Amino acid sequence: MKQRLYKTNGRIRSGTMYHMMMIPGILFLLVFSYVPMVGVITAFQDYIPAKGMFGSEFVGLKHFVYMFKLPDIAQVVSNTLVIALGKILIGTIMAIIFSVLLNEIRMKTIKKSVQTIVYLPHFLSWVVLASVVVNMFSLDGIVNQILTFFGLQHINFLGSNTWFQPLIIGTDVWKEFGYSSIVYLAAITSIDPGLYEAAGMDGASWWRKVWHITLPGMLPIILLMGVMSLTNILSAGFDQIYNLYNPVVYESGDILDTYVYRIGLVGRQYSFGTAVGLFKSVIGIVLLLSANQLAKKYTDRKIF
Amino acid sequence: MRTKRSIRSNLFTKRLAVLSMSALMVAALAACGAKTEAPTAEEAGKYEVTPGDPFSAYKDEINVTMGRVTTANPKLPAGDTYENNAYTRLVKDTFNAKITDQFEANGEDYSRQVSLAIASGELPDMMRVDSKDELKELVDNDLIEDLTTIYDQYATDEIKKIYDSYDGRALDNATIDGRLMGLPATSLDSAPTMVWVRQDWVDLLGIKLDADGDGAITLEEVEKTTQEFLKRDPGQSGNPVGIPFVNTLNTTDYNGSAYTMLGAASTQQAFPQYWMRGDDGKILYGSTTEETKKLLGIMADWFKEGIIDPQFGTRTFDDITALYANGQSGIAFGPWHIPDWGLISVKQMDKNAKFSAYALQDADGKVNIAHANPSNQFIVVRKGYEHPELAVKILNLFYDKLANDKDVATTMPEAAKYQETGVDGSTRPFNIEVNSATSLLDDYSDVVRGIKGEISLDEVRTTESKNNIGSIKTYLSDMDTDNTTAWSKYHSRINGVGLIDKLTKEDKFVWMTPAFSGTTPSMKQTWANLTKLEQESFIKIVTCSEPLDYFDTFVSNWKKQGGEQIIQEIEAEIGAKP
Repeated sequence: MKQRLYKTNGRIRSGTMYHMMMIPGILFLLVFSYVPMVGVITAFQDYIPAKGMFGSEFVGLKHFVYMFKLPDIAQVVSNTLVIALGKILIGTIMAIIFSVLLNEIRMKTIKKSVQTIVYLPHFLSWVVLASVVVNMFSLDGIVNQILTFFGLQHINFLGSNTWFQPLIIGTDVWKEFGYSSIVYLAAITSIDPGLYEAAGMDGASWWRKVWHITLPGMLPIILLMGVMSLTNILSAGFDQIYNLYNPVVYESGDILDTYVYRIGLVGRQYSFGTAVGLFKSVIGIVLLLSANQLAKKYTDRKIF
Repeated sequence: MRTKRSIRSNLFTKRLAVLSMSALMVAALAACGAKTEAPTAEEAGKYEVTPGDPFSAYKDEINVTMGRVTTANPKLPAGDTYENNAYTRLVKDTFNAKITDQFEANGEDYSRQVSLAIASGELPDMMRVDSKDELKELVDNDLIEDLTTIYDQYATDEIKKIYDSYDGRALDNATIDGRLMGLPATSLDSAPTMVWVRQDWVDLLGIKLDADGDGAITLEEVEKTTQEFLKRDPGQSGNPVGIPFVNTLNTTDYNGSAYTMLGAASTQQAFPQYWMRGDDGKILYGSTTEETKKLLGIMADWFKEGIIDPQFGTRTFDDITALYANGQSGIAFGPWHIPDWGLISVKQMDKNAKFSAYALQDADGKVNIAHANPSNQFIVVRKGYEHPELAVKILNLFYDKLANDKDVATTMPEAAKYQETGVDGSTRPFNIEVNSATSLLDDYSDVVRGIKGEISLDEVRTTESKNNIGSIKTYLSDMDTDNTTAWSKYHSRINGVGLIDKLTKEDKFVWMTPAFSGTTPSMKQTWANLTKLEQESFIKIVTCSEPLDYFDTFVSNWKKQGGEQIIQEIEAEIGAKP
């Protein structure tokens, strides 16, 4: 790397300062991500809080066996995957389309205000947004009023196993697409304007320019974001679902996190909850590694 | 971590999220929490001014943190909170003890807070737990104080008398391995789940309800009345809904839970969630019986016809209360005291609102009811809390002194004012009731005789009854009164308890005695799932997303997933007992 990232002005040895800045991050990781890993052993115990991790009785794979015997588990895993994948796919596509379109707006004030408006929901928590969503989609909410205005049937969005997943995915996309479009906008601005001019000379339409210049220019960042989001694939959004679901839609709405929470914490089966959590982590690693390999195989780019 | 939280606050949910994001992390937290040891019990006595005195104050101000069970509509005067109100100030004045709330929540949110407190090892100094299960778990984990000697030393004779009126059942239930581990709430045993019907609407529409006037009505009558309410919208809300039920549907607590379908269940002789003995003498789980299936069939028909709220399952407890307050629904299933804390919001919104209470009768004209589980609520004290005796002292103060003192108005004026104006009992430090076994009907007889002038106010046994007499007289002299307390006391006592009294005297009740009410070893692993299975299956059947025959699938799943084994364990346990 030719470019110098920092100055060596004699007193500071090259890079030391920058490395020092990593310390809080490393500490954070250690304390919140590595130390708690010791707790994994409780998945193999009949854990009793008072006896602690080292006093509780070891029971081997009992909780895992019980987990795979439960008829719910397949349902929960598939819900998690469907919801997470839906969010990633639709969210990414929406963000890309939005950033490409936004890039076309020439008037700065309009562009900025549109941006601000679509970023806004990202900064609100699901606790607040959930009540908005419930209000809009309940049986007498505005959405159903519109449906009936056009002579359609009422739909009980929050109490229907058919509609709950689309609702979760849709509202999440609505909340996040603006904010995640930031990186794509940045990617677009880094594309050489000369390419567009040249294409214009050759008579390319707007659509052609987008297809042959903008999208390929964005591809690396799209892939990077895609693979990165796969690490979270089994975290389909506890906050959101916890605030929106109810027993009617456990069947379609229960994801691993809410399931672990309900059975493990509320039902006070700590070991079982940990076993499910561990299972989730294992799947997460497998998915991440394979996505990375696939990315390498097909695009020759990978993140590690 | 010891921040005060209220339900659904941002902070609360965030904490939940953080905690549950990783079960691993939780396990680690719990382990850390368990290690922090507070001062030992031996040191406890030394702060005491007069050991053994049930009411003495502490020399230096002491602190006590609590987990509090709240109510949607406590009617606290402006400026007062759960943490700082006449009752907590009374505790401060009497004992020099300051109450801080570690968490406040109601319903399922409260159980979650308790679970989280146990998991993280950060118990408040005192809190209410709502099942024997939780009490056992706390004991297994060595998290709570043994109150045996403290109870003997500090409890007043009156308190002991109250508990003894249950023939030992009350204290037995809080006793584990011979040690008293919590202060039990008492659960009275004479209240079916009733149906509360908007009487002003019935009159307005000219509906004939309970033609024979015996106070017991049939399911068909409920159905017809609801249909009329739906068709003619007497609340003029523009959007009437059927009967709203909570999504749990069932409970074993006839006396405590509102908006459940227990009342309807009893008409089919179904006792969901109770352990019963079948005709062959074998243990049966009430939720898996043919009677329950029949009940669910009726519920499903009701749902199809809109008799049940079309959004059944998705509504929270507060949503349901709001439906009544908005005049969207006029039929509520609930215990006798529901006017005091739930339906009272209807009166606040609609001056003309009046309710009548009915029991539901079966085909033979009888009202079925199961004996209540012996007390299911306990006040526990965190292991290592320096002043465990304070729990007993608070119990003395509220359930003996405040309840029985004839001069409360002068000795405890602020608290007396609260009682007069009908501030909800949940604002007391402990949200439990401790009454003698016969108190419900005894108090009723006091109240009735007091109103008629047969006894003077001085002869009335409790301050509460005295206040109730005043309120009810106010209501009787002016039925359009703006005094919501007068309204609610009339409804809960005269309409509610009055009905129980009448039906008891007429011998209308048919009692079912549960065969078992404890927990067994394998329940620890499987019960959370079985309950989830039951709740989901019932909701699916009621909302018609599965046909009624799905019930049989539920039963076989329930047995396979651990139910069968639990039954065997119960058989063994009962068999082992003399």
